Amino acid sequence: MPSLVAQDNCKLTVIGKVLDESKNPLPGATVFITELNLGKVTDQNGVYTFSDLCGGNYIFEIKFLGFESQRVSIQLIKSENLETILHEEDRILTEIVISDHRDPVEKTSTFGALSGKALEDVRGKSLGESLQSITGVTTIQSGPAIFKPVIHGVHSQRILILNNGVRQEGQQWGAEHAPEIDPFIASNLVVVKDAGALKYGTDALGGVVIVLPAELPTDQQIGGQMQVIGSSNGRAGVMSGMLEGGISKHTGWGWRIQGTAKRSGDLHTRDYNLSNTGYEELNYSASTGYHKEGKGVEFYYSHFNTTIGILRGSVVGSSEDLVNALESEPPQNTKPFSYQIDQPRQSVTHDLLKLTSHLRKGINLFHVQYGLQINNRKEFDLRRGELAAFPALGYKLYTNTIDTEWERTEGKSHIRSIGFNGMIQDNNKIDGTQNIPFIPNYVSYSVGLFWVEKFSKGLWDWEMGARYDFKYYDIVGFDYKNELYRSNLNFNNVSASVAGTFKINANSSLTTSLGSSWRPPSVSELYSLGTHQSAAAIEYGLMLDKLTNEVLVASEVKLNVEQAVKWVSTYQIHKGKFSAEISGYLNYIFNYIYLRPKGVTISTRGVFPYFRYTQSDASFLGADFSLGYAPRKNLNLMSKISLLRAKDESNDDYLIFIPSNRYEVSMRYDIPNLESWMNPYLEIREKFVSKQNRAPRVISLRQIIDAKEKGDDLLENDYQNFDFVDSPNGYFLTSLSAGISRSMGKSKMDIRVTADNLTNTAYREYTNRLRYYADDIGRNISIALKYIF
Amino acid sequence: MKLPVKISQPLLLTAILFINIACQNGDPIPENIPEFITKVVLTFSPEGSGSIIKVTATDPDGGGVQDIKVDGPINLLKNNNYTLSLALINELYKPGDDDYDVTEAIKKEGEEHQFFFSFSEGAFSSPIGAGNIKDYSSAIVGSINYLDKDLEGLPIGIETSWITSNTGVSSKSFRVLLKHQPAIKSSSSTSTDGESDLDILFELNVN
Repeated sequence: MPSLVAQDNCKLTVIGKVLDESKNPLPGATVFITELNLGKVTDQNGVYTFSDLCGGNYIFEIKFLGFESQRVSIQLIKSENLETILHEEDRILTEIVISDHRDPVEKTSTFGALSGKALEDVRGKSLGESLQSITGVTTIQSGPAIFKPVIHGVHSQRILILNNGVRQEGQQWGAEHAPEIDPFIASNLVVVKDAGALKYGTDALGGVVIVLPAELPTDQQIGGQMQVIGSSNGRAGVMSGMLEGGISKHTGWGWRIQGTAKRSGDLHTRDYNLSNTGYEELNYSASTGYHKEGKGVEFYYSHFNTTIGILRGSVVGSSEDLVNALESEPPQNTKPFSYQIDQPRQSVTHDLLKLTSHLRKGINLFHVQYGLQINNRKEFDLRRGELAAFPALGYKLYTNTIDTEWERTEGKSHIRSIGFNGMIQDNNKIDGTQNIPFIPNYVSYSVGLFWVEKFSKGLWDWEMGARYDFKYYDIVGFDYKNELYRSNLNFNNVSASVAGTFKINANSSLTTSLGSSWRPPSVSELYSLGTHQSAAAIEYGLMLDKLTNEVLVASEVKLNVEQAVKWVSTYQIHKGKFSAEISGYLNYIFNYIYLRPKGVTISTRGVFPYFRYTQSDASFLGADFSLGYAPRKNLNLMSKISLLRAKDESNDDYLIFIPSNRYEVSMRYDIPNLESWMNPYLEIREKFVSKQNRAPRVISLRQIIDAKEKGDDLLENDYQNFDFVDSPNGYFLTSLSAGISRSMGKSKMDIRVTADNLTNTAYREYTNRLRYYADDIGRNISIALKYIF
Repeated sequence: MKLPVKISQPLLLTAILFINIACQNGDPIPENIPEFITKVVLTFSPEGSGSIIKVTATDPDGGGVQDIKVDGPINLLKNNNYTLSLALINELYKPGDDDYDVTEAIKKEGEEHQFFFSFSEGAFSSPIGAGNIKDYSSAIVGSINYLDKDLEGLPIGIETSWITSNTGVSSKSFRVLLKHQPAIKSSSSTSTDGESDLDILFELNVN
């Protein structure tokens, strides 16, 4: 109990402000008065208010993900203003959110986070592109607007994305399908790089991406922000706004509404326009919730809507077309700049409705969450006559998830969690595509149970646990003759992980984890049939007969689930002017499912190589380094290195689209404040991406076609992976950014100017499918204005 | 303190939503597949002597792994006039159905389609050369005697006219390429523009 100095005066107010090291406010930080069990969340100016406090001694605990927590002792005699500066951490060793809420990240994880200033730097970019600034995270790209996150070389259905606590269930079966999430909803973007995310279900073989919005405000005052970003490349504009507040007379209730609009025309390389690469996006979300003393409930709804153009010059109907497209520079049908988005294009909507509630009863914390997601994807191709108006491919995916968790504090440093996850999915083709569906309709049911123990012992923090999952598919599709087939499959398996962090001393720690995670083959890997957007190759699923293409009877096929065993160890040190984080990892994936070349066929559209989903063992071995040095208080030097080698172990072969090694150095100079002009800074960043030398062999399409016309199938008895062209050369990119803030009474304006690819280099990135047809995008200068009120 | 919303209510709501959305409807409706071409028939009708030559290429399994089957080489007589008619057929439909004869659709959408041909030199005296299918890098394009035109007055190529050479050839190639050129087809567009809808290689004898 606080010693009460002035018990009669219970009208004291504490107005506080939470800032980062460069004095930028941290909205969404939580402030907790331990003695009163009272919590607040900072507003857009980083400000919180506690009113009607009695005099006495209090401990304020201030927390924000990505920063070291702070405890501040206050002897409260009169109303006070309190300013707290939090120090950034690449990894956080303390608990993050108010104790009633789920911790999105465990103490014992190896992870990287974007929040505060680092997140502001990537505002306006898509989720995948934003995450690239975390060490060890890259992307698989399809043109300038489609980014799929890659964690330690692993991507797509091997990465779990948690959007505001809900497993994101979009249509991730294509290399050109980006996550359907607006990163503007997030106050934190976190990437967990180990395979131990046991609470959220299967599929986290490579890691977990967590998109975390700020806590809802509990104060009555209304705050918000408005952001406008303009970019030279694509003549693009982004506008995003947010408004939030409490509800008067209903303490504990808070609300927030948010929306983002984006529009870009054709992007351009150093030398030419990339026709039909514009995009549009319109997203909004609304949430309201009640939080008070150990109980809470929250409703959340978000809508995501995008239309993305696919480079006109990448459209091919046959291998001969692809030969032309590969040789053509600038790409075929390149036209002057336009905002017009024609075929081919994709249009995707994603709706998420979430209800969540928690209740603390003594040492027990109960958590229930329901999520409904509706994902609607349509892909439009260049088609004959009136058919162009119909999507060539379209699916609607409904996902219901229910997550429950019972967390029990067993002792001072021991927490036990037991939980259940259920999911029902229903995937339906959109009628009227006038194409044989590429993947079948299905209903799937999944259930999972987990048990996780967390405890501290001496200098060690431990987490260990296991989970069991069962998945059932009920499938109905159409085969190559357009005849209906039905199939049922089920899979089940166990995941387990153990992780520990050892505090070596006050400045350094070592984290190590060993986790095993699995995933069932996805329906696309089982039943894909045919070609899809911009791929001059035919793809066949695991469940199709190799000679007849007939759908196999499920009970007669021996299928294995993909199972990863991932080990990650991280050493972290902060000492004076130096900081360093070094991670090493090995991810060995048994029964890794991917498309391997299996032969060449002649159809009425000419010669086509074809690929089958096959299973083999694959390994991903790598290391991430991030080193910091601050020779002076206002000068920061940063260096990041990501190294990776991946292999198909069963076939002693290289895998395609594996990110090459990359190196980055940056220097940031913080200029002293000039009256009401605050936090001016200048930052320069140099990135080098090396050529991928561990790439599959090259066989040109011309060789394949010429051989086939002479009756030779170059792939028939030689299933080694291949690529149509050599991996592109390494490249350097320079970027420059500068920013300044101006405070105007209660509100604040941030201005930021960024130049990416400053030297306008013509380059191609190995993991961008655009590399087959065109250079990557040239110089881009953007100006961002942010107004916080 | 009472919770504004009881914990049990979202649970109940959840259960209702689960049941509603998990309900399965009947079988999905099969799609029409009008873009499929499963069979191509080349008909060479002689003006003078000789009989009608018909050669058929059939795709046994659509998008499957089996190669197309061609029922023998094109055997033309030396020094003879022929009219070549192309028939593109979608056998997923029955004869008489609108979508059975793809040639009709191509004719109707002539402004965005053109057939291109290539053949071994010495096979024909008109057109001379090797046809009008070119590589991306090469600039030289031969001509074809088109007999049909779209609404813009540009050739389509369902009907073409050919005069075989005096010398003849044996075991040479004859390639038929159909390009889809929406908003691209013009008097200067070539075989490298647009996307391939059809691309078949035949064996050619002129004797």
